[in-house]
Amino acid sequence: MQATQIIHAYKQAPWRVQRQWIGAFLLFVIGAAMIAALYLDVTARTSVAGREIQELRSQITTIQRENADLETQLADLTSTAVMRQRALELGYRPVQPGELDYVAVPGFVPPEPAILLAAEDTTPHVQTQPAEFTQSLLEWFDERLKLGGPR
Amino acid sequence: MRQQYAVRSLIIVVGLALVGLAVVVQMVRIQSSEQALIFLSQGDRYAGEFQMYYPERGEIYDRNGHLLAGNRTVYEVGVTLSEVENADSMAYILSTYLGLTYEDVHNKLTASPEDWEYVVVQDYVGVETVESLQQLIRQLNDAEDPRLNGLGFKPHLQRSYPENALASNVLGFVTRDGRGYFGIEEKYNDLLAGNPVQIWVPRDPNKATEIPRVPNGTTLVLTLNRDLQAQVESILDDALVDYGAQNGAIIVMDPRDGEILAMASTPRMNLNNYGNYFSLYDNGSQYNRSIGTAYEPGSVIKVLTMAAALDTGTVRPDTTFIDTGSIEVGGITVQNWNRESWGQQNMIGCLQHSLNVCLAWVATQMGTQTFYGYMERFGLGHPTGIDLSGEAMGRLKVPGDSDWYSVDLGTNAFGQGVSVTPLQMMMAVSAITNDGKMVTPHVLYSMLRDGHQYNVPSQYAGSPISAQTAHTLNEMLALSLEQESSQALLPGYRLAGKTGTAQIPTDYGYDPWHTNVSFIGWGPVDDPQFMVYVWLQQPSTSIWSSETAAPVFSEVAEQTVILLNIPPDIVRSQAATK
Repeated sequence: MQATQIIHAYKQAPWRVQRQWIGAFLLFVIGAAMIAALYLDVTARTSVAGREIQELRSQITTIQRENADLETQLADLTSTAVMRQRALELGYRPVQPGELDYVAVPGFVPPEPAILLAAEDTTPHVQTQPAEFTQSLLEWFDERLKLGGPR
Repeated sequence: MRQQYAVRSLIIVVGLALVGLAVVVQMVRIQSSEQALIFLSQGDRYAGEFQMYYPERGEIYDRNGHLLAGNRTVYEVGVTLSEVENADSMAYILSTYLGLTYEDVHNKLTASPEDWEYVVVQDYVGVETVESLQQLIRQLNDAEDPRLNGLGFKPHLQRSYPENALASNVLGFVTRDGRGYFGIEEKYNDLLAGNPVQIWVPRDPNKATEIPRVPNGTTLVLTLNRDLQAQVESILDDALVDYGAQNGAIIVMDPRDGEILAMASTPRMNLNNYGNYFSLYDNGSQYNRSIGTAYEPGSVIKVLTMAAALDTGTVRPDTTFIDTGSIEVGGITVQNWNRESWGQQNMIGCLQHSLNVCLAWVATQMGTQTFYGYMERFGLGHPTGIDLSGEAMGRLKVPGDSDWYSVDLGTNAFGQGVSVTPLQMMMAVSAITNDGKMVTPHVLYSMLRDGHQYNVPSQYAGSPISAQTAHTLNEMLALSLEQESSQALLPGYRLAGKTGTAQIPTDYGYDPWHTNVSFIGWGPVDDPQFMVYVWLQQPSTSIWSSETAAPVFSEVAEQTVILLNIPPDIVRSQAATK
């Protein structure tokens, strides 16, 4: 009976209650600090990633513009008038019909221009993001279970 | 003692609480003050900006992948006014480099409205000028000279045509406001330009992914063959000089599918200097005479008259006609081109000698309804539907029209009193080379968008005549060309065709001194792979098509077989028998 009273008194000691409150408060503060730190970290990372996206987009725009510009410059350099002039300077002259020899090549199919071949090659893929970026947690669990646990 | 500490602690707590409360009250007060709303709106203003995104205008290629219309980087040169330290110096430098007047630049720098932060000094400035200015800025910066502080350059794209005037009549042009005029640029303006989008671009990097992607305009691949186009334009230009013609047009088409391989017209314009338009053309119909200008074509229409007559069984190739040199139709006497009689002729002879009297007789034998029914089915008086802007319809008067007279049956049969565009004639005659089926001419070969290719299918525009009629007339026209020893012939290749010499109608009747000369021809006869139409306006060295348009056709045919790799008939027949 006495031991029970002592334990009861111990549990109800003011300093112990105070310590519990302080502990709970500190726990809350630490938790809040951790969440705040996590939030700050994620926000900072997101901001950095966002800034990188902005810069990459800007680079893409610049590169696309430069590509278009270079392509036009190349077309300038290989235009009919320029090529004709260069050919004449190199001593070439227009071919006459009698100077042509024709060779029959069975099954020969003239190649398509590069611009059309490029179009076929660059058919966009429907899904380019990894599953990790689109999968929900439940879907991930489901997939793991189907695969037989974590690997 | 303990009590004293408790009181002091309480005072400190209350004091700190009051300070905290004061801070909170002050925060609330600031947040809800009138100034706060101003700051908030300012914050919103600087949180991002609305930007108009103009997608890159789609490029235009020829069928072999040569760029005909692309985009080039140019710059907007502007100044952030708040950073300008010496407006006089900046105005002097910019006016020198940009070719502007000092006063204009100075006014922009000093007399712009007060709330303007940025002013555009000049747009569409070339790369070379901007590089010179940038170099100058670097030198001034190195010397810590602030005279060009605030000067900036914003790059953007401008339409550019690497081939300058080549195929200008087909391509059309784009003005600085991004709108296409004439030809492909106008017809496919919406596709090429894409959709400009106004976007709110946040400065907050966390919202970077919210910026939508603006797709570029559609890239077009044309059926034109750049090298053939260049040759045809060169031949046309030479022909105008050689024969003293005022203007002209030449079209090369693949009669099997209606693909336009070359389309030349005069005058042509350097598309990079489209400001010259008004000095070159009186009206839009002159921009591409191949489709925009209708004229009385003369005897080339005899091909259609004969096709109708053969198809209805009115005549056969060996049907004889005694040409007395004149025939009366609707009370009016019709004569031959040389006002002479040609005696007994068969239908091949009628075509070979281009006898007006014979063809007028053929039309009268067919009857009015039948003749005009066929002409309608050949598409005369209707646009071909080619995918180019600015196509003219021509005019086919038909019975019932207020200005149609009985004599028109006779004159229309040999190409007088009816107006067509060169392309309309090609479409109609394509039935003869294509087993009786007319093809719809087109210039667009393929569209490329987001990596996908969409090919444009060939379309038939009806079958006005039977395949048998087409084969018969094809052979008749080849024979008539051979028997005439025409200057249109090309050694090694069997070709078919027809001349057309037409008087020019004026307000006072037909001009007795000038003609329009035309020639339509195709080859090889056993497997037509190209069709050429030549039209020269008012040649001065000779008024006859056989002496002007026919040799031009031969030149074009020669270049066409070379550039399209069409071997001579004997080589093809040897390859076929192997």
